[in-house]
Amino acid sequence: MTEQTLLERPLAVPAYSARTSTARRRLNGLLPYAFVIPPALYLLVFMFWPLGKQIYLSLTRTRLANPNRSTFIGLRNYERLLDNPDFYTTLKITLIYSVMAVIVGVAVGLVAALALNRPFPGRTLVRGILLFGWAVPNVAAALVWLWIFNERSGILNTIVTGLGLERVSWLTSTEMALPSILLVTVWQVSPFVMLVMLAALQSVPEEVKEAAVVDGADKLNVFKSVTLPHILPTLQLVSLLVMVWSIRRFDIIYLLTGGGPVGSTSTLIVKLRQVAFENHDLGLSSAYGVVGLMLALSVAAIHALFNHRRQKMSSR
Amino acid sequence: MPQITMKGVSKNFGDVTVIPQFDASIDDGEFLVLLGPSGCGKSTLLRMIAGLTGITSGTLGFDGEDVNEWTPSRRGVAFVFQSYALYPHMTVRENIAFPLLMDAFRKWHHIPLVSSVMRWKLMRRPDIVERTNQIAEQLELTPLMNRRPASLSGGQRQRVALARSLVRDPSLYLLDEPLSNLDAKLRTQMRSEISTLHQRVRKTFVYVTHDQVEAMTMATKIIVMNRGEIQQIGTPDEIYEHPANTFVARFVGAPPMNLLPVRQQGQQLTLEAGATFTHPGQLPADKELILGLRPERLRLQPAEQPGIPVEVSVVEKLGAEVILGCRVLHPGGGQSGDLLRQDLVFVRISGNPHVAIGTRASLGYDAAGVNWYSPQTGKALHPAAAPLLSCSA
Ligand SMILES: Nc1ncnc2c1ncn2[C@@H]1O[C@H](COP(=O)(O)OP(=O)(O)OP(=O)(O)O)[C@@H](O)[C@H]1O
Ligand SMILES: [Mg+2]
Repeated sequence: MTEQTLLERPLAVPAYSARTSTARRRLNGLLPYAFVIPPALYLLVFMFWPLGKQIYLSLTRTRLANPNRSTFIGLRNYERLLDNPDFYTTLKITLIYSVMAVIVGVAVGLVAALALNRPFPGRTLVRGILLFGWAVPNVAAALVWLWIFNERSGILNTIVTGLGLERVSWLTSTEMALPSILLVTVWQVSPFVMLVMLAALQSVPEEVKEAAVVDGADKLNVFKSVTLPHILPTLQLVSLLVMVWSIRRFDIIYLLTGGGPVGSTSTLIVKLRQVAFENHDLGLSSAYGVVGLMLALSVAAIHALFNHRRQKMSSR
Repeated sequence: MPQITMKGVSKNFGDVTVIPQFDASIDDGEFLVLLGPSGCGKSTLLRMIAGLTGITSGTLGFDGEDVNEWTPSRRGVAFVFQSYALYPHMTVRENIAFPLLMDAFRKWHHIPLVSSVMRWKLMRRPDIVERTNQIAEQLELTPLMNRRPASLSGGQRQRVALARSLVRDPSLYLLDEPLSNLDAKLRTQMRSEISTLHQRVRKTFVYVTHDQVEAMTMATKIIVMNRGEIQQIGTPDEIYEHPANTFVARFVGAPPMNLLPVRQQGQQLTLEAGATFTHPGQLPADKELILGLRPERLRLQPAEQPGIPVEVSVVEKLGAEVILGCRVLHPGGGQSGDLLRQDLVFVRISGNPHVAIGTRASLGYDAAGVNWYSPQTGKALHPAAAPLLSCSA
């Protein structure tokens, strides 16, 4: 197909403009680069350079007090990491936190999208309200949630005591801190999931659903046979995004619990800050960062693998 | 197998009335074509029969039973969509077998895991496999069974859609412009395949199209619609030979029926252009009439002979026949009015008579081939008394 159009092109150019068109074609050939260079530069300066720097730092002993003097120590930081039981706890918490954020956040968002996908009066208003959580800046949201979770005067405990139950230490007990943080995360992530899934749901061809109805499928089978396969790629992409965001999430956790109590909400990124700015160990904290990066990359790789397989399947 | 009756069926979308009132019945085994221009409510009507769209008022009956509230699956219909609406992520085999799977599906199969296992098992159940293969064989889809819709051609997709609707052996087939996405050659081929299918399965077909060739070639009965209203119900021959009004006369036939407004004085007819000629048969009583003549009902004669005086201005050679576009001449001999405004009178002549543009001639016709319409209502008029004897003379 491309071959054909490439072959056809010169024929379509009238003879008298042969010169200008050669120049133009050369320009056209360069044009894509012109568009790509600015973002590439941006990525280079603000992403890859710091990234390279971080990876380098993780191979050195560097103290916060004197970040410019670092001694190369090879993989020693990683050895320290693997010998430290704290690291495994951190890794476990990160995984629990991000996997749960994906499962609950995506499920809530999807159900909301399904509910909003059918017409009912006041739909636009409800959609606007549900988007609220996503629109509020993280720091502001975290501060609001601090009030909600407040043990003495927070609304949650007012409700709980109203129901005749004991006050709950939402953010200050090791059992409740992570679920509480997950609650805020879901509150924040699911509107985004809902919005994206709603767009995907609206692109499901109506006639195919109707065909399934005529073929005798009940509602659930229409969903499983038509809707779900159609929105699956989007669902997967959204899950990837939520997963990666959760691995990187800092603000909410730091503001609500600071990683405590006793490290029970300390994900890799929160731990990274602690090691860097409380223990002044830039080298080790960089190693934490690199582990986080690996985690995010492997999730992305799994996603790419799925995508590739699906594309191969559907083009058969 | 149901006889379908529609009594005062109407459809509104909000405050837009798409179908004001529809009364018709469809007999068992009929190949009914709903014919009409785009947007006239054909799809809406078909979807109401299938149960995909609600009926605003009136009753739809299968064998006299009110089915207004029946679900699509309970009505046991097959629906072929204009866009085919195949399941894109399923193979051809899975697409065809899907209705059978749904028939065998039980509520408890929805339990997670069970549902996948059951699907897997059902796809291998001998009767389902056999039925799927048999239908695929019929429609020559066997080599494509493991492909997905995205990699099929338009005609192949169309056949898969047909196969999927056939597999359950429904008693009523509803087809919404199934051939409109195909090229001319494939369309002709599929047209005869669907006709053959109808003759073989002997079920009721309701077929929507705006293509009058499809309607004429496939239908046993045609309903011509315009703006949601029935214009005429009849066999293809009736529709073609005796259109009930000027809309049907213009809509069916290519080139369309010639409709010439005339004023009568005794046997003399005067055209708008001023030319006068003698009508060879009975006339309706009205003073003002529309003379309707199919192009093949007109004869090209030498200019001296009695008839409508014309000048040939378009010659379209179609191989086996020639279509002439003629302009009516003034009594003085000049052309009437300005060139663009005046409708051409079309004449269809078989063979190739080698008529040159600019030839002056006279158009003759037999009274038997004439349809009369009222210029006010557009409805058909009939000559006063015992017309048949004098016409055939
Ligand atoms: N869901 C709907 N809401 C509002 N109006 C609708 C809806 N569906 C159809 N209509 C209107 O009803 C009229 C008839 O539509 P319909 O699809 O039945 O036409 P059709 O005869 O099938 O035309 P075509 O040959 O173009 O398919 C159109 O004017 C259309 O705009
Ligand atoms: Mg339609």
